[in-house]
Amino acid sequence: MFGWLERNPFFFAVGVFVVIAFAGLIEIVPDFAQQSRPVAGAKPYDLLRLAGRQVYIKDSCNACHSQLIRPFKIETDRYGMYSLNGEYAYDRPFLWGSKRTGPDLHRVGNYRTSDWHANHMWDPTSVVPGSIMPAYKHMFTNVTDLETAYAEALTVKKVFNVPYDKDIDGDGKIDVPLGSFEEAKQRALQDALKIAQETKRKDLVEMVKAGKIPEIVALIAYLNGLK
Amino acid sequence: MNWLSDNVNQLALLGAAAILILTIGVAAKYFKQIKEGKSEGELKEENWDGIGEYKNNSPIGWSLAFIGTIIWGVWYWLVGYPLNAYSQIGEYNEEVKSYQAKFESKWANPSKEDLLGMGEGVFLVQCSPCHGIDATGIEGKAQDLTRRFVSKSQVLDVIKRGSAALGNPNGQLGYQLGMMPPGLLSGADAEAVATYVANGFKGNNKGAELFQSACASCHGPDGRGMNGMAPNLREYDDPIISHVLQHGKQGIIGIMPSFKGRLTKVQERAVAAYIRSLSE
Ligand code: HEC
Ligand code: HEC
Ligand code: HEC
Repeated sequence: MFGWLERNPFFFAVGVFVVIAFAGLIEIVPDFAQQSRPVAGAKPYDLLRLAGRQVYIKDSCNACHSQLIRPFKIETDRYGMYSLNGEYAYDRPFLWGSKRTGPDLHRVGNYRTSDWHANHMWDPTSVVPGSIMPAYKHMFTNVTDLETAYAEALTVKKVFNVPYDKDIDGDGKIDVPLGSFEEAKQRALQDALKIAQETKRKDLVEMVKAGKIPEIVALIAYLNGLK
Repeated sequence: MNWLSDNVNQLALLGAAAILILTIGVAAKYFKQIKEGKSEGELKEENWDGIGEYKNNSPIGWSLAFIGTIIWGVWYWLVGYPLNAYSQIGEYNEEVKSYQAKFESKWANPSKEDLLGMGEGVFLVQCSPCHGIDATGIEGKAQDLTRRFVSKSQVLDVIKRGSAALGNPNGQLGYQLGMMPPGLLSGADAEAVATYVANGFKGNNKGAELFQSACASCHGPDGRGMNGMAPNLREYDDPIISHVLQHGKQGIIGIMPSFKGRLTKVQERAVAAYIRSLSE
């Protein structure tokens, strides 16, 4: 039999593939379809949070922060419930990260607040003495790029059927409205105003009132939604 | 030859000698085989560009082991390894359970020092980013926990807006008396009581009198909250810490997030003890 395999390289390759892939197949395939569905309660990002997510990616927060709480007691004690696959269903790409220079952020919305983030991003050492996280003062003046965020939302809605403008939990109400760009922008401005007020910084409130959303506000909206 | 008296060194030397002898012996054997050995045996039919191969059956022991492994593999796949037998989450749950049991039995009756030590640890990890390492609230960014009420305006706000000043008009902290109604006092009266309470129930006769008439029915004549019916206004007792940790709070300083399910009962008591120790 082995002589036969040696003389037929194609079938030999198939055999090798089956043997090597076997363990992977039985571990991954049976559960995959189920695990990759959104968990109950998962909702796509609204416009402001999506814009904040883009800021997060742009400034490479994922180089120092993970978003993946492993099922170990030491981690769940500090960060809360371990992460589930389906929680990342609307993350494109996911931001698990691979290095924790700073703490995990997957549930940071549970234990930090808008004003804390504003203080911390302006000057980390003002709240955490000795912090080595860089300050992100430019985010307080840079204006968020809502157009790109809207384009992303519309694309995933059309291409991947992400449930924007749909009733996800079956209570008869639309869960995450998107609509036209103007509608979405008005909604984002309202959300932004609330967060700007929570940060207690007048400059941010004024910018939002003038129709411009500072990057920091979008970022805080994103962080507050990480739960 | 001092180093030879050490038996580890002796053993190492012995081992080195053995390895050397074996190496030389094996090398010599193969040299001899290369020089004198002759190939014998039956050739297989197939050959590759004129290079043939002997028929060379695998040793019996090896074959048996190989077949045995295949049988074991089938058994393991079908019987020994039911797909649901192991789960990472299951292991996690067991780990947490056994840890929790150990934790609870170890700290069933913590001494005061234990509580303070544990409380300081919890505080530094969970609370210090907002309340500051020294618990003074980082220049007004959060509650100064070294004193019960920092500012008169805080108390005044509660008198004016009642429970709504704590984040929820329906009684958010979860005390037995439920909610505190808004507008119990106003104007100079409210000022006087607020000053009295914020000063730690000292001085200010008018405030003291008004407190007895307007507030004592719920907060107790001494302001200590009648054993958890309403918040203790004089010090951070255990109930107030655990109520705040359970429900969070939203006052004029800002938002205190809820820590529901994140700390054990003992840890709550410990952090309360630690916070109290700061104002002593
Ligand atoms: C050079 C590495 C580095 C980068 C880049 C970085 N951080 Fe951090 N971050 C840290 C460290 C270290 C800490 C812990 C000390 C502290 O709290 O400041 C931290 C803490 C935090 C915390 C507090 C988490 C907690 O549990 O207390 C938040 C929120 C945070 N970072 C957000 C961000 C965001 C958003 C970005 C991107 C704009 C970012 N970080 C970029 C290193 C980094
Ligand atoms: C009807 C009973 C009642 C009366 C009368 C009352 N309180 Fe309260 N008070 C409460 C309750 C209950 C709470 C907790 C509210 C909650 O959980 O929302 C509270 C909360 C407070 C708090 C906030 C405590 C904290 O931890 O931040 C302050 C301050 C306070 N009361 C002061 C007063 C003063 C001063 C008066 C007198 C003018 C007064 N209360 C009268 C029931 C009362
Ligand atoms: C995200 C920041 C943040 C964290 C983390 C935090 N706190 Fe607070 N805490 C606050 C703020 C802000 C207030 C003031 C709320 C107000 O009255 O406006 C507060 C108020 C309090 C009060 C006063 C409640 C009262 O009724 O007077 C206590 C007690 C307290 N915190 C305890 C804790 C403990 C214990 C921890 C850690 C387990 C903790 N906090 C973690 C922000 C925080």
